[in-house]
Amino acid sequence: MVRANVKRRIFLASTVSALAGCGPISAALSQNGAVQGALASVEPLDHALIGTRGFAREYGERDVDRNFRVNGFATPSDARYAALVAGGFSSYRLIVDGAVERPGAFTLAQLERLPQRTQITRHDCVEGWSAIGKWSGVPLSAVLDAVAPRDDARYVVFRCMDNDGAGNLYYESLDLHQARHPQTLLALRLNDAPLDPDHGAPVRLRIPLQLGYKSAKWIARIELIGNFANIYAGKGGYWEDRGYEWYAGI
Amino acid sequence: MKVAAPRRVIYRYALLTRASHWIWFVAFFVLVGSGLQIFNASPNLDASDKSDPARRVLAIGSPTDGVGATTLFGHTFVTTGWLGWTGDGMGSRGAHAFGASITIPGYQDLSGGRRWHFFFAWVAVICWLAWLLSSAVKGNLREMLLRPSDVPKLWPMQAYYLKLRKTPPPHGIYNPLQKAAYTLVLFVIAPLVVVTGLALSPGIDAIANPLTVVFGGRQFARLWHFAGMLLLLGFFAIHVFQVLTQKVVNQMRSMITGWYELT
Repeated sequence: MVRANVKRRIFLASTVSALAGCGPISAALSQNGAVQGALASVEPLDHALIGTRGFAREYGERDVDRNFRVNGFATPSDARYAALVAGGFSSYRLIVDGAVERPGAFTLAQLERLPQRTQITRHDCVEGWSAIGKWSGVPLSAVLDAVAPRDDARYVVFRCMDNDGAGNLYYESLDLHQARHPQTLLALRLNDAPLDPDHGAPVRLRIPLQLGYKSAKWIARIELIGNFANIYAGKGGYWEDRGYEWYAGI
Repeated sequence: MKVAAPRRVIYRYALLTRASHWIWFVAFFVLVGSGLQIFNASPNLDASDKSDPARRVLAIGSPTDGVGATTLFGHTFVTTGWLGWTGDGMGSRGAHAFGASITIPGYQDLSGGRRWHFFFAWVAVICWLAWLLSSAVKGNLREMLLRPSDVPKLWPMQAYYLKLRKTPPPHGIYNPLQKAAYTLVLFVIAPLVVVTGLALSPGIDAIANPLTVVFGGRQFARLWHFAGMLLLLGFFAIHVFQVLTQKVVNQMRSMITGWYELT
């Protein structure tokens, strides 16, 4: 009995010290490249299992958030963007180039003449919150059809006008399956009004099958490429370069 | 002179049972810590589909620097140092719902928390499937699952624990209360936590929207996911208390080596 009590105390003491050691251990493991690589190995599995086979639920008018939450980087404040806003985006051109047969520079009027789509979908932020907006614009696949991607095009890269405050421009990328999903939209309007500057005017992406950080705002240029290894840190997006998943369906 | 009674030992837990037990222990530890890290990025739980302050059940925040406040069903409590205004893992305090000492990683890092969480979610689920298959094939599952015939024995068993009865009701390897606890945890709460976790993913929601709808929407699923975690933590606390208060060395040895000493 006495012996059991001693053993019990040894066990309790070792449990307490093991728990106290967890902080430093988890910090060391969290900064170990091999450990993080192993943890990230499930991302391709999640991507393969979920992919783009689904179709996001579309809501009714009464579900719409009239004051759709503003998120992401601060609205661009540089002279070039200020001039675009001042001119009602009449001088805006959406550059679409790279591995395409017919590179283009689309005005807003030209984008509005392409097939249009309206969808009321939920925006799921990686932080955990959700909001519902009514988005209208051009399905990305219509723009891709207009420029005719070459056979070596694998990814669509979105280059944006906003930066993180330290001068790093936002960017994102999708593969062609994700880009061609019918609900992947180049949104020009939110809640029946042209996009305002805080929501990514004049053109932003809406991809409801993935988390909000994929839905790049303030798009200046769309580039088709074979791979994104040579763009910035090579992970395919601003947040991806900083540890977030490229496949953001989870 | 007393003669020592011969030691009688039985092989109580098969290797797969022991391995699953400890793999779950590690996975649960990581999933709770990384889950609290993920929670911190948006420390509110709403009983709704989209975020809706009017349907907020739990909010952990910091109304002003130096103060932590927790609001549960509209009632606000000052929780400075415990919730809302807590340690940042780098020697000072800040506006973090759960303190860095109980999150994984032990500092603010949403992407890191997500990586730990999604990896160990797979570990826990694969381990559960392997354990389930093996237990079903070997027949141990039958001894563990609560049956209708066990229900009348639940109170007599509780009465025995409360010393209101001299003897426990007759039962097999597991008593009725153990069966109830294991059945509830392994076949109700743990699957609920997995499914509500899946319902949070926009990709899965697009494939299986009814899954999100049955839980009341995405934010509601996040609330169920959190509540399920609390129930599992409650089971864990009672489980550890029982082990520590009932022949801890013998119990621990049997879950490590398989051998249990009968006394």
